[in-house]
This record gives sequence, structure tokens and C-alpha cells, in this order.
Amino acid sequence: MVTESDTASIQVEIVPSRFLMPATAQKLLNEIYGNGGITRIMVQGPNLPRSVPYGPGRGAPIDENRELLIEVGGQAFELCVKVGRIRLELESDKYFSGLKAACERALPISFQIKKGKFFHTRRTITDYAKFGNEEDTRILGLIDPKAKKSKMAILSEERVTIDDEER
Amino acid sequence: MAYKPQFYPGSTSVGINRRKHMSGNLEKLRDIPEADVTAIMGHRAPGADYSSTHPPLKEMGEPDCPVRQIVAPTAGAAAGDRVRYSQWTDSMYFAPSIPYWRSYWGAINCKGCDPGTLSGRQIIEARERDIEAYTKAQYDSEMTDVALCSMRGCTVHGHSLRLEENGMQFDMLARTEMGADGNVYATKDQVGIPLDKKINLGKPMTEAEAKKRTTIFRADGIPMCGAVGARKYDEAVEALHHMWELRSKWGFRPE
Repeated sequence: MVTESDTASIQVEIVPSRFLMPATAQKLLNEIYGNGGITRIMVQGPNLPRSVPYGPGRGAPIDENRELLIEVGGQAFELCVKVGRIRLELESDKYFSGLKAACERALPISFQIKKGKFFHTRRTITDYAKFGNEEDTRILGLIDPKAKKSKMAILSEERVTIDDEER
Repeated sequence: MAYKPQFYPGSTSVGINRRKHMSGNLEKLRDIPEADVTAIMGHRAPGADYSSTHPPLKEMGEPDCPVRQIVAPTAGAAAGDRVRYSQWTDSMYFAPSIPYWRSYWGAINCKGCDPGTLSGRQIIEARERDIEAYTKAQYDSEMTDVALCSMRGCTVHGHSLRLEENGMQFDMLARTEMGADGNVYATKDQVGIPLDKKINLGKPMTEAEAKKRTTIFRADGIPMCGAVGARKYDEAVEALHHMWELRSKWGFRPE
């Protein structure tokens, strides 16, 4: 019988039953951040364009989707998606129960939380094209393969960077 | 005895609602002014002239045709209006109507229209003054819940996505919004161009009411087979099996 290590990192997915308003997303992310033990985290959901992308109204501004600033752990960043799913990696299993409690505190709606394997580990061609020979494998699985590099925000302990470089 | 169309089988609430939608015998829940419906459709400014593709039929002098003598033209056709559209997206979370039933409603009850059914949206095309009347009928009746259904000419996705926290169907272009007073407001027309003023569409249905009025069979609502554990399937499934069998046999052609 193989005994699972309780010190290995685990990956978790949180799926609320509805899309979150920016205020709720901020509250949830802060609770998750406060729980600690996060190696990496990804927020996923449908895109919120700043202007109408196509059709007769193409180019008309969508003010509701602009300046959706949220503050997580004292750092502000702009929300580009409607938060529908959060995937994260925790340092070890001991943070899981705290994470579940954090979700229960922050979310006014039901949610699913499950452990699994959600980030890929081998570099794909897309990853190579986007990042080159990136040494840090934590970046793998954090970005939508179809998204532009400019859409990616990386939060670290020191800083928040949004890479504005157009490809 | 006069023929009475049966429309749809089954004794579940969904079956009954489907019959109501197809027969056009719908309850009116709200009254949105015609000018507001026109503004949300976005084809012409309210009060502006209708654009036309041909002169009025009376001026054109039609050929001597028995069918034209029998069938009276619709108001839009008689005036020579352009063909316009209105397109709806209904959430799969118990929206009152779904694409097929909007199409059945249109094909059975609306003269001179062309319904198009897609997986997550439904479009009806007709002469402009006709489609305005048909769209208003859809807006005002129980076919529409203002939170779970909305008119979307482009960027239509939302049907199969989760709802927003406040119970609204997700809309990337934010064409409707939930006001602080609990009413839903239309802020943009169906292609996302901002309106001059917000249009009050009224209060959305409660979750229980939406489930009562829905035409969607769902395992967590009313399943198509009828009551769970019943000895007999609902007639809707029996009729479906019957149609499936006949269609399969009709399609089977041994040489």
C-alpha cells in the first residue's frame, strides 16, 4: 500500500455555483490569501471585454467592465474576467481545511471544492512560444493558451506585474 | 366537431407550458411601451420612419394571383418594410422559454415570420413593423423573464453559463442590469450600443416562479419522464419514442 505524503503540495479547484461579483471575488481571494500556503493561484471565467468586440456596435465602450479593480493582500489589480473558477496549489494538505472554511466564510452561495491535478507539468508548444525556456515551471497551467501574454497578471509576494508587451 | 390542435403531449407542468407557448394562449405579465421595445431592438429610432425595400403593395399593382387574393398581407408586407430581426438568449437555468419553443410560437402564431433555432439563441426575422409587434408580444408575455432571457443581436453567449450572483443571466456586454430597487433595466440595445435612457423592464421572476413557468425539462426540475418512481412514463416520452420508432423505420430502406 502506498501512503500518500502529507507534506507534498496539493492542487485544489473551487467552483462557485454562480459567477462572482467583483466584491465577492475580492472577499474570497482575500480569505484564500489569509489562509496562507499558496504556491500559485489562477482565476478563470468568461472574458469581460472593454468594448464591444464585433457586430454593428463594434468599438462601443462597455463601462461596466472597466476599472474592476480588486485588492488582494494589499495589492490592487484589474479584473479581466468574471470569476467563475479558482484553481490553486497549496504547499501541503494541512491548508485544505482552512481553505474550505475560508470559502464558506466568503461565499454567500454554494460551491464545489475538490482536490485533483489541474495544472499541467510539461511545457507545451504554446508555453514555449509564450515564455521561451522559462526555468520556473510554476507558470505552467496559469494562462489560457489562447490568451495574449498581455492578459496575464502575476502576483507575487513582492509585486504585481501585468506584462504589457504586445506579441 | 371542430379540429382542436393538441400541440404537445404530457401532463407535467413543462408539457402544459409547452402547449401554452405553442398555442399562443399566454399570460401577459408586463407591458413594456412599444417605443422602448423599438429602442432595445435598435433597428430604428423610436418614432422614425420605417425603411422600405419596395413601394406599398397597393401602389405596386400585384399580378392576378389567386393565392395573393386569398392571403391578406401583414402590415409590414403591405407597406413594403425591410426585413429585420430580434434574437433572444434564454438561460438554461429554468428560463420560461427555450429556442425551440420560441420558434414553435413564432411559426404557429406569427404570420410572415422566419424563425431560426440555434442551440443557445433564437432569432425571428420578419418585416419591421411585424417583428416589432412580435417582439413586444414576447417581451410582455410569460415567454420572457427579464433576468433569465434577454435580447442579444450579437455576443449571444449566456444560455449555458452559470447565472450571476444576483440571478441575472451572464452577459459579456452588460446589456441589462439589476437596479438597486430590484427591477431589471435595459441599458443597451441588442447589439450593445448604449441607450439614451435606461428602460425599466420590471421585476424578475422568483426562482420558484421560473421553475413553474419553464418549458425546460431538467433532472433537477421536472424530468421528461414525469414523476420519479411512477409506474408509467409521461406521455411526452411515449410520444417521443413513437416518433423515433416511426422515423427510424421510415428511414430504413432495404434494397
